[in-house]
Amino acid sequence: MGNGGTGLGYRVLFVTPLVCDPYSMQRHPAAIALAIVLVVCFSSVRAETDPLDGFTVEEVAPGNHVHRGSLDDRSPANAGDQANSGFIIGERCVAVIDPGGSLRVGQALRAALRGITDKPVCYVIITHTHPDHFFGAAAFRPDNATVVGHENLPRALGQRARPYLKSLERDLGDLAAGSDVVPPTLLVKDEITLDLGGRTIVLHAWPPAHTDNDLTVFDTATATLWLGDLLFAEHTPVVDGTITGFIRVIDQLAGIEVRQFVPGHGRTALPWPDALKPQQEYLQLIVRETRAAIKARRTIEEAVDTVGLSEASKWAAFDRFHRRNVTAAYAELEWEE
Amino acid sequence: MRSFVRLVVAAVAVMALPLVAGANEKAEPDPAQSQYWPPIRQMMFGDKEIRDGKDVIRVYLNTRADDASTVPVSVKAQIDQSSGRYIKNVYLIVERNPSPAAGIFRFTPDSGRAQIETRLRFEDFSFVRAIAETNDGELYMSSKWVKAAGGCSAPADKNRMPANLVGTMKFRFADETVEASKPALVQLMIRHPNESALAMDFDSSKVPQFVRHVSVTYAGRPVMDADVDFSISDNPSFRFYFIPEKEGALEATVEDTHDKRYVHKAVIVEGVPLPGG
Repeated sequence: MGNGGTGLGYRVLFVTPLVCDPYSMQRHPAAIALAIVLVVCFSSVRAETDPLDGFTVEEVAPGNHVHRGSLDDRSPANAGDQANSGFIIGERCVAVIDPGGSLRVGQALRAALRGITDKPVCYVIITHTHPDHFFGAAAFRPDNATVVGHENLPRALGQRARPYLKSLERDLGDLAAGSDVVPPTLLVKDEITLDLGGRTIVLHAWPPAHTDNDLTVFDTATATLWLGDLLFAEHTPVVDGTITGFIRVIDQLAGIEVRQFVPGHGRTALPWPDALKPQQEYLQLIVRETRAAIKARRTIEEAVDTVGLSEASKWAAFDRFHRRNVTAAYAELEWEE
Repeated sequence: MRSFVRLVVAAVAVMALPLVAGANEKAEPDPAQSQYWPPIRQMMFGDKEIRDGKDVIRVYLNTRADDASTVPVSVKAQIDQSSGRYIKNVYLIVERNPSPAAGIFRFTPDSGRAQIETRLRFEDFSFVRAIAETNDGELYMSSKWVKAAGGCSAPADKNRMPANLVGTMKFRFADETVEASKPALVQLMIRHPNESALAMDFDSSKVPQFVRHVSVTYAGRPVMDADVDFSISDNPSFRFYFIPEKEGALEATVEDTHDKRYVHKAVIVEGVPLPGG
């Protein structure tokens, strides 16, 4: 992964259906002319304003197709397209991994998928409980796919669905319409293997790290590891579980033999497992400096104002997530003896 | 009775929600114009005058909070805690939380200063209001607008607290040693999920377990006493002053909604190093 140079690009166009009355058009050539003008204008306007126009996926390994989300704040300009998402195509069917941050993103991913294969979608896998990864699941309802998640996912979704939906609507307005929580029906405890026909994928449920319901997907045919938000590239890592647990899980991940990998956000040119290092160094720095602040009897506010600032230039969205990471780290580490 | 007041306040606030459904949530509103405030004010303070608090009480927190489930807040008295005139109560209110009264903190002249630092959950963008009631019954208010949302529903026990740890406590002292008669700052930390009523797994038969009362004494005299709610973050933390003598015990008693009672005690001797680092 990492460079995208080898990837095939697929461009998805949203076709605005032309609704008209052929009978009246036959009788009124002027109406036809007007309709053409309208369609042309309307189409060009849509092409400029549709935030998901230009939605692409790239094939990072045979049968493994990845879409890269935006590193920007969620807004109507990206329709909630922030997380990396994608799918793995087997001989029998397709597994979608993280259907994206809104119904619209899920629909764009589904259209991209349909541009490549007619095989049915048998699984929609949610790597964890964050809205930028799961709200697009509603787009795959017509496929009647099995929705798969970590055994802790239903509980987390149940607790957070309401405020997540509210803030999605606040950020996206009309573009949030139809986005919804699709409850998982297949839960992963430890590890399970799914058969896509001539191709198996291994889903591993991790102990609390980025969240308390992180799931990875490993495509055995190509040794491609889909990490969800257990790996952030470019984008500031986010701690919503436990920072010490996150560091431990990354150490374990580094021991897996991987040929290709897909982070939950961004891309990297670094090879595996070096690609884990920038994130690991960031998290370790926060732990080190927060422990020092606690030892020096500084308050949580003082720690938040001072810890980890040397990392600022290395990450996108630092202003949005770094302080919250230090807040969470302090609240966790102040209990250490 | 106090819980009853809180329940009524919560109910009134929830009823008031539809009134502002169309409000522009992005603009920073005027604290005097908030439609959430009048019913809460009426229930808690009736028609009593509430004065501008800037010379008596101030509230400090980040306008854009970083983590809606853990928003550090400091409420600091601007007047001395003298026996003639002192702040006896501080009301901390998160207007738009399902149960807006996050805490009612009681102080005495023995507190040294009327100051409380804690961490709050925010369900939605909201004004935070700190109201000081002086010993002569006057009320003073400071308000601050905070942009943070979803924190009441965030799982309170992401890391699944083992039951035997619930209720364990720690004191962290701001300074390495204390001096007799000089106000000293201490943080009381309570291991507790402080379950939010909104964070339950749709099991309405279960009473959420959260800390409802905290009482701290030094040498047997009250220093800080608080009625609190699930607007306080998990692992509740309270930082406040007390006035040590040459030697004495600081003792915290905590009660939760499951009628569990937890006690923690530390003997403090002038000049002897204290935990905190």
